[in-house]
Amino acid sequence: MRKALLLVLLAVLIVVPVGAQEEGLPDFIKHTPCEVDLTGQTIPIYHLGDISASYAFITQPLLVGLTDAIAYYNARGGACGATFEQVNRDTAGDPAQSQAAYDDFSSREIKPDVLVLYASGDSELLRTQLAEDEIPVMISAGSVDGLYGENADEPGWVFASNPIYVDQFGDFCEFVAANPEMYPDPVIGYISWPGAFGEAAFQPESIAYCEAAGVDVLDTPEYFLPSATDISTNVQNLVDNGANILYTNSLASGPVIVAKTVVDLGLEDDVQVAGVNWALDTSVALLSRTAIGSDGLPAVNGLVGSLPFHWYSEPDHPGIQLVVSQFEANERQLSQRNISYLLGWALVDTYVELYAQAVNQAGSLEAVDGALMKSILETIDYYPLDLYHLNYPDGLRSTSANRMAMIRYANADMTGPATSGDDALKIDPGDGTTLFVPLLIPLEDFAPAPDLRPGQ
Amino acid sequence: MSSFAQTQNPASSAAFDARRAIKWFLIAVALVVFLIWLAPYGMAQKPGRLVESAIRGVLVGGVYALVALGIVIINKASGVFNFAHGYMMLAGGLIFHAFFSVAQVALIPAFLFSAFVVFMLVTLNGWRMLRDPRRLVIGAVGTALLTGVLMLPGQDWQLIRGFVGGGLGAAALGLAVERFTIRPLIGQPLFTAVMMTLAVGEVLHGLTQMVWGSVEIPLPVFDVLKRIGLPERLSIDGADTWLDVSRIVFNLELVVAFVLAVLAFIAFVLFFRFTNVGLAMRATAENQQLAQSVGLRVRVILAVAWAIAALLAAVAGIAQGGATSLSQNLPGLAFYAFPAVLLGGLESIGGAFVGGIVVGFVQEMSRRLFPGLQVDTELAPYLVLMLVLVIRPDGLFGQKRIERI
Amino acid sequence: MSSNIRPSGVFDTTYSDDIALNRTRGEKAVSYGIVALLLLIPLLSLEGPFGISLVPQSLVGTIIRIAILVISVQGLNILTGYTGQVSLGHAAFMAVGAYSGAYLARQFGFSFWLALPTSALFTGVIGLLFGLPSLRVKGFYLSMATLAAQFIIPWTLRYPLEHISNGSRPLDVPVPDLFGINFGADGAMYYIVIPLAMALSLAARNISRTRTGRAMISIRDNDLAAELLGINVFSYKLQAFFVSAVYAGIAGCLMAFHTNNISLEFFAPQVSIELLAMLIIGGAGFPLGPMFGVAFVILLTQNVIPALVPSLYSALPSLLPFLAPVNVFAALNPLLFGLALMIFLIVEPRGLAYRWEILKISWKIRPFSY
Repeated sequence: MRKALLLVLLAVLIVVPVGAQEEGLPDFIKHTPCEVDLTGQTIPIYHLGDISASYAFITQPLLVGLTDAIAYYNARGGACGATFEQVNRDTAGDPAQSQAAYDDFSSREIKPDVLVLYASGDSELLRTQLAEDEIPVMISAGSVDGLYGENADEPGWVFASNPIYVDQFGDFCEFVAANPEMYPDPVIGYISWPGAFGEAAFQPESIAYCEAAGVDVLDTPEYFLPSATDISTNVQNLVDNGANILYTNSLASGPVIVAKTVVDLGLEDDVQVAGVNWALDTSVALLSRTAIGSDGLPAVNGLVGSLPFHWYSEPDHPGIQLVVSQFEANERQLSQRNISYLLGWALVDTYVELYAQAVNQAGSLEAVDGALMKSILETIDYYPLDLYHLNYPDGLRSTSANRMAMIRYANADMTGPATSGDDALKIDPGDGTTLFVPLLIPLEDFAPAPDLRPGQ
Repeated sequence: MSSFAQTQNPASSAAFDARRAIKWFLIAVALVVFLIWLAPYGMAQKPGRLVESAIRGVLVGGVYALVALGIVIINKASGVFNFAHGYMMLAGGLIFHAFFSVAQVALIPAFLFSAFVVFMLVTLNGWRMLRDPRRLVIGAVGTALLTGVLMLPGQDWQLIRGFVGGGLGAAALGLAVERFTIRPLIGQPLFTAVMMTLAVGEVLHGLTQMVWGSVEIPLPVFDVLKRIGLPERLSIDGADTWLDVSRIVFNLELVVAFVLAVLAFIAFVLFFRFTNVGLAMRATAENQQLAQSVGLRVRVILAVAWAIAALLAAVAGIAQGGATSLSQNLPGLAFYAFPAVLLGGLESIGGAFVGGIVVGFVQEMSRRLFPGLQVDTELAPYLVLMLVLVIRPDGLFGQKRIERI
Repeated sequence: MSSNIRPSGVFDTTYSDDIALNRTRGEKAVSYGIVALLLLIPLLSLEGPFGISLVPQSLVGTIIRIAILVISVQGLNILTGYTGQVSLGHAAFMAVGAYSGAYLARQFGFSFWLALPTSALFTGVIGLLFGLPSLRVKGFYLSMATLAAQFIIPWTLRYPLEHISNGSRPLDVPVPDLFGINFGADGAMYYIVIPLAMALSLAARNISRTRTGRAMISIRDNDLAAELLGINVFSYKLQAFFVSAVYAGIAGCLMAFHTNNISLEFFAPQVSIELLAMLIIGGAGFPLGPMFGVAFVILLTQNVIPALVPSLYSALPSLLPFLAPVNVFAALNPLLFGLALMIFLIVEPRGLAYRWEILKISWKIRPFSY
């Protein structure tokens, strides 16, 4: 019942192209034409990462996205006729297990030509080994250490498809400085999870960049554990020191508890919440349904963050139409309709393009190796499903196009965002909560994020 | 509880008294030095914020106390330290959620669930109970009753359904854990059983993952309280008073969790005062084989302890899940309650409560006074624990062991 | 345990016979054979000099990881298995070894060969410090005092010593160098780690045969009785803490130089609990316990379960159609590990080494059962 309701809702929200192409890919996908036919061969998509521990919120939908995308592309010719298969390995977030999984992959008879990672910790751990074994890696949002090494001066074998976290933070400051009517006298307080991921954006480079743009950043960040019961003190500390913007580099429950605390402390009018691209996600928007602000909408309503790709709430976008139609055809759960599902699709599309180029250059699938893949990645200029721009000029290892967007909730007629709880579209999912329909509203066009690697 | 501390009465010579005086003098001096060192940090804060942190610390401590209480019960009965407690919290919360957040439970799941719960309860003392026809009848009636309760439809019965289903489900979970994993290890080295709890934690991790996945599940249990008219948050206005801050706010969730902890604490103190089970548990923990040979039903005692612990875990899981959400992050909370257990003393119910409050208080205060350094979760509770253990090796209220050769 | 049970009529006639490591020529041959075989393995892999792939390359990495943890768990065995002081802070001591080794190599250009003993000794001193509560605190309370080390040490590394440790970011560690030979490749590192692991295991075994070892065992069995016998309990406990931390320091330092990149995630509190689990599984207080335990857990989690997962994943979702396949996939890892551990603990609650001893005895006194 509940699932059916949600599916109906989705179908209404986004106009599904009726009678989509049964055979062959839609026209907007422009892969390099293949000169070699690989029909009958298989290309494994190797992925290792934390699927069962703290980052499972984003890796499980990734797997679902990969599954659906692989089925879709395989039915439409795969990569030059070759079909994809998924090889996933769960490391439970344990570096020793990541190492073991990598050893297993890299010592196979046919070494992986390219590897998918999702945790920046894994990319940091494997950085030198990847260079030794000549295996390039595709990652979603990497860390400076993983992409460029400890001194940030050696572009390695890891390629990120989103801007790195420091760049996102710098870009946010740029946005704040450019919108004084939205953010008068901005002072940013940094509040996040402890650890490599949570602390990644709070670096001297990003702080200096913000200060130069006229946005103050408080010297003392606040860190809270994902299992924390109450973070009022953390928020209060920052607000007492003058912060009126809270920036969080966390995901799932992280941004929700920050926004909820702001509401609980009655600071809604004085303090705004912002975050990394993972904070702008369906999981965050849905989880917030038990934390309602004084306007009757979930507390994360109005959260601003990076959205370096096109999103489900842009129904005119052909790539989004394709992903959504397949999402519905496969009857996926609403909670899986998030970033990682989308990026899983983009990833498989990237694979098709990479292999088309590689096979054209090498002549056969056997002749494709990691070094070739790396050279292709270094010169690639491609728009996976038209969702984002994949290119790495001048030794960069992450993409730089970024934009800010805001979490809002749909109004009752579904013509735009609701202004308060009264005119919002509310659905009873049958579990005692009220479901609001999240929208991510882009606030600006894509523009290059600043390059805030240390030493630049 | 404190009577244990006072009965220690070795050689009461003058030399001993002098040593004792010196010890307490040194402790007092250290305390004064510590307070002088701390004072500037405290002075930098507004008084209202310090009061706020103190109260919030005590309230947060309520959750820790609930967690610690569950760990202490098992330890009291079997001497086993339960590493699976975090996942028992999550599992309990999820079972509660399963009954709480649906419009109505279907017949077959309700029946299967009831049958399982009743089966675990009836066979408390072993499978042989199944041969007794009287018990079978009781079991059948119980199953029917429970199925009926669980199938009560609509939101009005939500809370009843949730607590009956969640409570009994958690108890059955505790019984199952004890029956299938701990009972085969009676008489084996203690640490084997401790490692078994680790395995239980992993299995519960896998099972919760398998059924509910990794999504974070909101648990709107506190909405029910709001619906019956309780205020969403308590607020103190201190703008023009000595507090010097405009508003101090406490969430309903925290207050309710604290009240739950107090109620659980009172219930268990009464339970252990007015029944022999507490004494039997201590005897069992001391020596399982000996306890059995003097006629104590070790298996029943262990089973009851695990059921109670699982129940407490579920309550803590519901409180925490309601305040945040039910997710795979929740078990991590148990890790941070470990110092609370030890601080109070492994065997002491009151100690667990005090330990929880102390840990919550220390965390909030250090979060307030030393921001940004994660002193609150990583350092402060453990420093306090080390200090307490060096002064009182059995915790604040722990049972002083009299060792013989 | 009773490894000197022999068929009736066979006795040790001299003291050196009684404490001999290898009692029979057969045992001696087996020990040397295992050593030789272990040393041969990398030569037979694809990256060896002969280029034959008799042994899968990933096995070399697995054996190195096992050997490093064996060193660490041998240390834990001295503290927990022989002296009876349960430690939940062992991973933190490994962190001290790893970070001090890395710091010496990076900052002062210490070679690996100098950094290893220095960091080991330093870790030993830190271990002494955290062993001090054992003067007053016993049993599970002491375990929690050591768990405090597990939080205090990483905190110190992360915040006050951030300039040394890189905080929560990873730290690069230089590749060890021996007479110009670079030890970057797994195969070369193998010949540092394996002999060290053997030597240190042998040393641990020998400690248990000395006066110190016997004193430690008496403390484990009954510390009051030991004290009455004139054993300085506190001194021996501290010695155990020191030796145990030195082992952990060596293991940590080796880990740092092996992975060439460390972060505090390697030494999370769960790792300490896992190390203890390995010891219990292998058999605490048995010289072979650490080897059995580490090999069991590592092979299970890193080889057996990953090999089982794909086939189970293709079978299970169709058997459980009401569950999402991705949930099933994510559940397999913890579920299989937990179940394996459970079954193992019920079948063999005293550890693998205990079963091994029984097997050995029944082989020696065959065809009689006792």
